[in-house]
Amino acid sequence: MLRAAAVAEKMGIPTASIIGSGFLKQAEVIIKGLGVPLAMGVYPGAPMVDSEQELRRKVEEELAPGLLRGLTGEAPRLPGAAAEPAPGQVVFSGTFDEVQEHFHRQLWTDGLPVVPPTRGRVDAFLKYTDRRPEEVIRAVQQEGREASILSIAVTGVMAGCRPEYMPVLIAVIEAMCDPKYRIEDSGSTPGWEPVVIVSGPIAKALDFNSGQGMMRVGRQANTSVGRFVRLYLRNICGFRIPPGAGDKGSIGQSFLVAMAEDEEAARAIGWPTFSEDRGFQSGENVVTVRSVVAITSPMYSGGDRAQTHVQQWAEIIGGSFTYWAHTGFKTGLWSPLIVAGPSIAKVVAGEWSKDQVRRYIYDHVKVTAERATHYARMTSTPTFNFENLVKDGILPPEYTASSDPQRLVNVIIKPEMVEILVAGDPGRNQSRAYMSNHIQGPTTSRRVELPKRWNELLAASRG
Amino acid sequence: MNKLQQRHEYSVLWPLSRRAVADTNAAPRLPDLNGKTVCELWDVIFRGETIYPLVREYIKTRFPGVKFVGHAEFGNFHGAREHEVTAALPGKLRSHKADAAIVGIGA
Repeated sequence: MLRAAAVAEKMGIPTASIIGSGFLKQAEVIIKGLGVPLAMGVYPGAPMVDSEQELRRKVEEELAPGLLRGLTGEAPRLPGAAAEPAPGQVVFSGTFDEVQEHFHRQLWTDGLPVVPPTRGRVDAFLKYTDRRPEEVIRAVQQEGREASILSIAVTGVMAGCRPEYMPVLIAVIEAMCDPKYRIEDSGSTPGWEPVVIVSGPIAKALDFNSGQGMMRVGRQANTSVGRFVRLYLRNICGFRIPPGAGDKGSIGQSFLVAMAEDEEAARAIGWPTFSEDRGFQSGENVVTVRSVVAITSPMYSGGDRAQTHVQQWAEIIGGSFTYWAHTGFKTGLWSPLIVAGPSIAKVVAGEWSKDQVRRYIYDHVKVTAERATHYARMTSTPTFNFENLVKDGILPPEYTASSDPQRLVNVIIKPEMVEILVAGDPGRNQSRAYMSNHIQGPTTSRRVELPKRWNELLAASRG
Repeated sequence: MNKLQQRHEYSVLWPLSRRAVADTNAAPRLPDLNGKTVCELWDVIFRGETIYPLVREYIKTRFPGVKFVGHAEFGNFHGAREHEVTAALPGKLRSHKADAAIVGIGA
């Protein structure tokens, strides 16, 4: 919201922004990151839970006077900013414990001890890229800081990554810096979390776990890459929970360890791999990042027919994610990712292609228009209606095929939005599904660029 | 912890990165809104359909000559077409001869 206000201010048009009192700290971070002082009128508390009478009182007594002052009073000013160190500068020297304490006090950790980012350790990471440390991928919200190669190396060290993960870490940040990914929305109240998916031979070369326990903390590659993402969002982007500011995840969730696909299992059953679905060639090293706002319970399914399993997926996906479908409807995009257990995928692939699976999920997960509208109104959008979304071309016409509030509409907007990856425990009949947070953190992939001396460096890292 | 470990020091690098944003000043304010056009930008959430009319009423009581342009003229800057809507904002604000804007709602 404040980004739109900044656009107007830069044109010489004074603005006053409506903001809930609980968002003021985040607003301060955003304003600093935008570099534009913004006036605000404050709504005390949360408008979604106030009576009509209370809302009117708060607007007349507090919000509207504040907005009027913002437009007609003294121009707002940016708070004074302290001078900052230069990238790569040594900022502290001390014992391991003293470093931890200093970093905790500065809000530079995720609450766990970090590996001290000494020059030697950072340089070891930089050996695994041919790119210059000062190269900037993009300036990222919400503090407006440079996503540089050096910042990736420093954060990788702190997260406990190994130096040879550096090409993967760079690809992760490149994907998250794609404007379509909307990294600036990483601190929204639903508290979604990015998940990294590593594809290609590099997954095995770096020892990513794609099998049993894949999403459990415990394997260095999966765990430290997942932690790296959260630390990067915190330190470079400025998404911090209290006592910091900038991350407004109301409850949030902890970081997700990185995923990898069991590509051998996928190929053995004749399905394209996840990265091939994303348009890459077999054998290419690829990183994909996408948001996860909700996860199903473990989806156990039995039997030797495809439909038995996919029907089970459809029922559980419907039960877990239908409530949040209104966010996809409002934006025209949301994607469930099905992590299909290898033994189940084998049964399904024996009869159905991935597209047949997608079509079944699309056809069989439904919600009444009345219920979806109710969920939207409960969350944030009292004006939600399908007619406007269809009229604006955000949803296809089938959503208003009738005006009956009890009509069933598809929870998944298009079959191709269903993503499928084969991974997990081959010795058990379990799958899981992960739902994205609509247009915030949509599935975004980047090829992993290896340094010219990759084979030599990797061999050296293994002693 | 033995004495050797206690003595070992780490010189650590700054873990953040350079701010890449040049600070700018706010636009000059308008002490009198009579005869001015105030544009309403809304992200279509958090009861703006009720809040904006109340704000309009409040301001009109104090500046009867103010003119408002509703949010529908600008689109939802935080929705499905966020980037396109934001990119089109300067042109639309100019075409409506905007003197000021109220932007919401972050709640």
